[in-house]
Amino acid sequence: MEADVLIVGAGPAGISAALTAEKFGAKVILIDESFSPGGQLRQQTQYFSNLPTGYAPDIGLKVIETLIKHLYASSVQVYTNHTMIGAYKNGMIGVTDGNKTFPILARANILAPGAQEEAKIFPGWTLPGVMTAGAAQILINRESVLPGKRAVMIGTNNFAFTVAKQLHDCGVTIEAFIEEKSQITCSDGILRDELKHVPVWTESTVQIAQGTGQVERVSVHTPEGRKEIDVDLICISNGFTPILEPFVIMDCELTYKKHLGGWVPLYNEKLQTTNPSCFIAGNAAGITDLGPILLTGEIAAISALEEIGILNSEEAEIERRKRWLELEKLENTAVCQARKNLIASSRSRQSPLTKSK
Amino acid sequence: MEKSTIVCRCEEINIEEIELAIKNGARTFDDIKRLTRCGMGPCQAKICMNPVREIIATYTNTPLEDIPPPRLRMPAIPVRLGALANGVEDFKESSIASVFGESVEDGDEQNDESV
Ligand SMILES: Cc1cc2nc3c(=O)[nH]c(=O)nc-3n(C[C@H](O)[C@H](O)[C@H](O)COP(=O)(O)OP(=O)(O)OC[C@H]3O[C@@H](n4cnc5c(N)ncnc54)[C@H](O)[C@@H]3O)c2cc1C
Repeated sequence: MEADVLIVGAGPAGISAALTAEKFGAKVILIDESFSPGGQLRQQTQYFSNLPTGYAPDIGLKVIETLIKHLYASSVQVYTNHTMIGAYKNGMIGVTDGNKTFPILARANILAPGAQEEAKIFPGWTLPGVMTAGAAQILINRESVLPGKRAVMIGTNNFAFTVAKQLHDCGVTIEAFIEEKSQITCSDGILRDELKHVPVWTESTVQIAQGTGQVERVSVHTPEGRKEIDVDLICISNGFTPILEPFVIMDCELTYKKHLGGWVPLYNEKLQTTNPSCFIAGNAAGITDLGPILLTGEIAAISALEEIGILNSEEAEIERRKRWLELEKLENTAVCQARKNLIASSRSRQSPLTKSK
Repeated sequence: MEKSTIVCRCEEINIEEIELAIKNGARTFDDIKRLTRCGMGPCQAKICMNPVREIIATYTNTPLEDIPPPRLRMPAIPVRLGALANGVEDFKESSIASVFGESVEDGDEQNDESV
């Protein structure tokens, strides 16, 4: 298989990159390990209004439905059930469909594998009934399966509240939020208000989850002493961290940025990694809001097309600037600052990043 | 936290075993992996990567950002050998970069020489 641009990951970032590259005339292959494109947006029922121009505000599910429709109406070749598992010596990405393994030859690659949820360990965390908030969200919104009836949520970030609200709307009783810090970290006042009947135990940690065959009880260490409640579901919302495997396989250098989710591939303002043939987009780059995620897909596509000569540098620079400006307006300030630091550190670095051209 | 708490659920490695590895000189995730098999199961450290890094950070009093992630090796997900071998015939012009070559510390050099 051959293309101008190979995109790994058909979440919002990868699809946005694919449609942009196609619009500028490139031959594009888009692969995803899942049976369907859409990534983690497929189970998001919350409303997104903070989107780039050209996107109608809607719930996550609908935003991605529209994007997928555009994708299948385009000339982008989409391969689901195809996973990037490695690289060949000559730099080609190795892909498997479960039956065979083969290379895809592309002049540039855009890696958009997204992020994964952070685990949290405590005695009993491996019992059935303990799961990440994202897993619970997939069960209710995508699989129509109720993961439990009485739950606690570990963590009070925006995602913890988002999922707690969705579980609550499905009839699950949220017994408490358990927060290590001294206050709630969720910045969404409306969401907090909707769940104000749920007690929040701050400066508290799970001591142990117990049960026979599955979780039945949780003991929590709080400033007022030990609290014990009967639950059949413990959700963990401990943040997201970029998926690194595809980048490590392609020899992209990593750097540590706490506000971008921890270890993250190093990239410059073109969203080019330290491997000049690999560009990055989406939550893998530590970008967390949907609007900015979609824009990073567009920026990575523009830069990839510049790298292979489909766009000239002037055109590319104009198109990129436009999108960075829009992105900054939509982005959360802590993430924006961390991203700028990362890009600045890539500039000061002696590397193939600058040597490439 | 109780020392018997599982950290790597794939290989059933607990806090005590990880701390023992650190006591014996382990400083990185890869050191611990080599001593205990922690992170070598089906999920390939996707779940325990940060819990293990946090234990190292606490135990050795090192900032979390100074503890690198483990070496993430090919294949990125478990693949049947049949699927891995199937197709090799069609693509003689290129060889897989590093599945077998990097099993020793100086693996990268080895890779360059192999095939
Ligand atoms: C479980 C979960 C729930 C989330 N829920 C929310 C939420 O409610 N609200 C919110 O704002 N954010 C949420 N997020 C954050 C989420 O990352 C972003 O909302 C957004 O979906 C990121 O878009 P993306 O395109 O960068 O990555 P993703 O949407 O994650 O898409 C990446 C795609 O890449 C594919 N992929 C990964 N590795 C490979 C490979 N090696 N080969 C082939 N394909 C590969 C995956 O199958 C996936 O389809 C969630 C994340 C997770 C993990």
